[in-house]
Amino acid sequence: MTEVPLFAVVGHPNKGKSSVVATLSQNDAIAIALEPGTTRQRQTYPLSVDGEVLYRLVDTPGFQRPRRVLAWLEAHSLSATDHADTVIAFLNQYRDSDLFTDECELLMPLMDGAGIIYVVDGSVPYSAEHEAEMTILRWTGRPSLALINSIGPDDYAPAWQAALGQFFQVVRRFDAVRAPFEHHLGLLKAFGQLEPAWEPALEQAVHYLAAQREQRQWQAAELIAAALADMMAWQERRTVPAGTTSLAATDPVAQDLRQRWYQHQRQREQSLRLAVENLYQHRRIQRQEPELTWHHEHDLFSERSRRLWGVSRGYLAAAGFGAGALGGVGLDALTLGSSLGAGALIGGLVGAAGSVFYGDRLAQSLWRRGPLKEGLQTIRFGPVQDAQFGYIVLGRAVDHWWHISQRNHAGQAPLDLAPHDSHWLTELARGPRQELQRLFNKTWKNKTLEPAERHRLAAVITEVMTAYQTWRLNPD
Amino acid sequence: MTKSPLSLLIQFDDQVRRDQAQSPVFLHRRDRKFALTSAASGQTPGPRQWLDHLHSLSPPTSSSARPLAHWRTLAVGFSLAGAVLGVLTMLGLLFYDGGQQINVTMILAFIALQLMLAVLTTAQSMLGWRPWGRLVSWLNARGSGGAERPALTRLQPALMAGCAHLGGLMFGLTGGLTLLYLVVVQDLAFGWSSTLAAGAGAYHHFVELISTPWHSLWPAAVPSADLVRDSRFFRIATTSTLAPGRWGDWWPFLALAWICYVVIPRAVLLVLARIQLSVQARRLLRQHPGLAALLYRMETPALETGNGDADATDTPDLTTHRRALPLPVSPVRIHWAGANAAMSWPEPPGEDGMLVLAAGGSATLAEDRQALQQARFRLANERTPTVTVVTQAWQPPTGELADFLVDARQAWPERTLIALVPVGAGPRGAEPSHLGQWLRFVDRLQTPSIQLCQPDSPTSAGDEVRASEASHD
Repeated sequence: MTEVPLFAVVGHPNKGKSSVVATLSQNDAIAIALEPGTTRQRQTYPLSVDGEVLYRLVDTPGFQRPRRVLAWLEAHSLSATDHADTVIAFLNQYRDSDLFTDECELLMPLMDGAGIIYVVDGSVPYSAEHEAEMTILRWTGRPSLALINSIGPDDYAPAWQAALGQFFQVVRRFDAVRAPFEHHLGLLKAFGQLEPAWEPALEQAVHYLAAQREQRQWQAAELIAAALADMMAWQERRTVPAGTTSLAATDPVAQDLRQRWYQHQRQREQSLRLAVENLYQHRRIQRQEPELTWHHEHDLFSERSRRLWGVSRGYLAAAGFGAGALGGVGLDALTLGSSLGAGALIGGLVGAAGSVFYGDRLAQSLWRRGPLKEGLQTIRFGPVQDAQFGYIVLGRAVDHWWHISQRNHAGQAPLDLAPHDSHWLTELARGPRQELQRLFNKTWKNKTLEPAERHRLAAVITEVMTAYQTWRLNPD
Repeated sequence: MTKSPLSLLIQFDDQVRRDQAQSPVFLHRRDRKFALTSAASGQTPGPRQWLDHLHSLSPPTSSSARPLAHWRTLAVGFSLAGAVLGVLTMLGLLFYDGGQQINVTMILAFIALQLMLAVLTTAQSMLGWRPWGRLVSWLNARGSGGAERPALTRLQPALMAGCAHLGGLMFGLTGGLTLLYLVVVQDLAFGWSSTLAAGAGAYHHFVELISTPWHSLWPAAVPSADLVRDSRFFRIATTSTLAPGRWGDWWPFLALAWICYVVIPRAVLLVLARIQLSVQARRLLRQHPGLAALLYRMETPALETGNGDADATDTPDLTTHRRALPLPVSPVRIHWAGANAAMSWPEPPGEDGMLVLAAGGSATLAEDRQALQQARFRLANERTPTVTVVTQAWQPPTGELADFLVDARQAWPERTLIALVPVGAGPRGAEPSHLGQWLRFVDRLQTPSIQLCQPDSPTSAGDEVRASEASHD
């Protein structure tokens, strides 16, 4: 049986080893920037498919006394042929000692056959004190790769590159916090190239990770579709004695019902946020979002959100015309074309008029009074009569999804969903626009989406996601 | 375990709901493992096998059976009501007080009404019309303490049709039995009457048409033309031409008409409702969003990226009350690991005659020892021996530096003050964010004679150290 590739991520303390491991293992619960000198044990992070481990990453503590280790090794070696054996002898001598705890922890996996991933910080100047570390690693005789991970804003990478090239087989730059997903895969491929026997496992891992990435996008689209359908069809109701409520803004019953409706919508949006974050295995994100209980300029119901994420009346009319025309084509088909496209035209005009009419009705009354029965009357608030509402929820959800999908697990900065001025919907093709409008039309008419329609909505949302990505690449 | 499509759908829906509390990673791992185990044993995994597998590990909760229990209660209620109403209705239809005959036309009209109701029930169920839907949902919600499940709501027409047909069937059975009972224990007198000017011939033709299903099976149950002609009665007529012994000859016809047009249609439509229910339950299961997700989880390899371990909460205490102190005047300065004070420290105090040494980094351990000795000679004649150790602020303090400082305290005079001075890479000086690790490093050393100093700090290092030493004494 082929041995599972093992990679030990080693280096000076606090140079981004844990960040690299966090990003590659998609684990945002790894302690990053631990206090240097604090004793740590190595941690292993396996990547497995159906329980079969494809490779293991080992996060290790940093070198604390490299010169003393090197001095010991040099003092016990006769020639270059015994270097690896001398390192093993060092481990045998000090594995139970307190003196070289960190060095033993980081060298142990190398002696178990691990490849070396040596991490340095490319944002600080190169220092010769690293040479003792690099020499020790070279003594192990293991395949090695150096990663220049820039933590700060400055760039000393060229100097590092020149120095590292003398000690390591491969030298690569990798920003653990900002590197796009494609770079993760590229790095894993590079790991595979260190040893021919490791290449198939790493290729397989890259294949599965890429597939997982695609599947997550679809799953995120389904989550957004479900939340959209729920939010657009949501209704709060209460049965009260007839004549006891005026539904005026100051009426306590009306106020309570309205607040419950708003609260539900906000909570549903938040649960969507968490679901998408969990999907991408982000469990410790701090989101910079407004409180749920009052209006804020970036709140779901704020005018600013409406301006940023809503669409123009012209857009609504065009999309509504398309959606209506789709329905009208059915009439033409029934008349075997003898209506000369009048069905599509009429359907389109009705759709456009409806979309514009319903396009700005969030501010309008969502109140409905039920029939009077035995002195009781059911009053309802919702569902929303506003096509814009759908676009706002969708825009915010896709924006959040994009940030989460692009975020590396080493990132610790709070997630700030900063708004943009231009509009992402301009990138969406006409077909998906009309389909989206048609499905929105259905939900605000208080019709439940069938499973097949939800599936279609999710499919349209994947196209929206693609359009959003394109827009992000070229926001102007 | 064999499950009906309906209970399979309900249990599946229930399981999917409970799974919503689980993490997607766990669900994927669980279901993928089941799929792989099934494939290894040559089975094709589906929702039925999946539920059996889960239930073999933990039995289903009572909540999964609750929705169906409500419908079963409703069906029992309909059956009982149908049975009682069947008896009462037949007693009413066959009420005979010895006056006028029981009108066969009336009974046939009632049978036609029953048939029509049965057909309408089925049609309503097929069309999915639920005029009573809210009432049923409300009853079910009251019974189960929550809103009715969408999966079950879509099956309401078929479930309701099943209940209605069951009630109708019981109605027909008890009605038929009551008819036979009354025929046995009473002397019933049947006749036919109608306001319409229908002749006996036409009426005979009509009853023959009705008798078509059993015409050849039981000819005696088809009224003869004589019986029809002679059993007509008029309300104001006082005498009848028919012999009283033949007044009861209509009963076989009526019993078979009741069976053929009330009992059998209800039984057939009940079976149809059950079939419709099964078909719809299968279709709903196929369309269930949870099934697509389950199939995805079973088909897709479970990829685990090693994010099980979490040590982010196990971080050391990063607080420190220590402050950086101003630079003392020192006759010895040691540049540790290539640190260069010149960049961020333009005018070091006491520069004249200062001994500048290098240690750490690319220097050997022997060179470190030599630097310690050189400093020791210089400090020997100092009244307040002080050494400045310059380090790179951005590099974390390592064990090697700690070892060097321990060696230094042993080699140098006892009262030597060691001023640790981290410097930045450029003229900006040390970044405040870098100083924290150095302050905590000095904390960990727990040696009052080692202090962290910065060129622009306000208080005097020497004063603080001496105050600290005084307090230790």
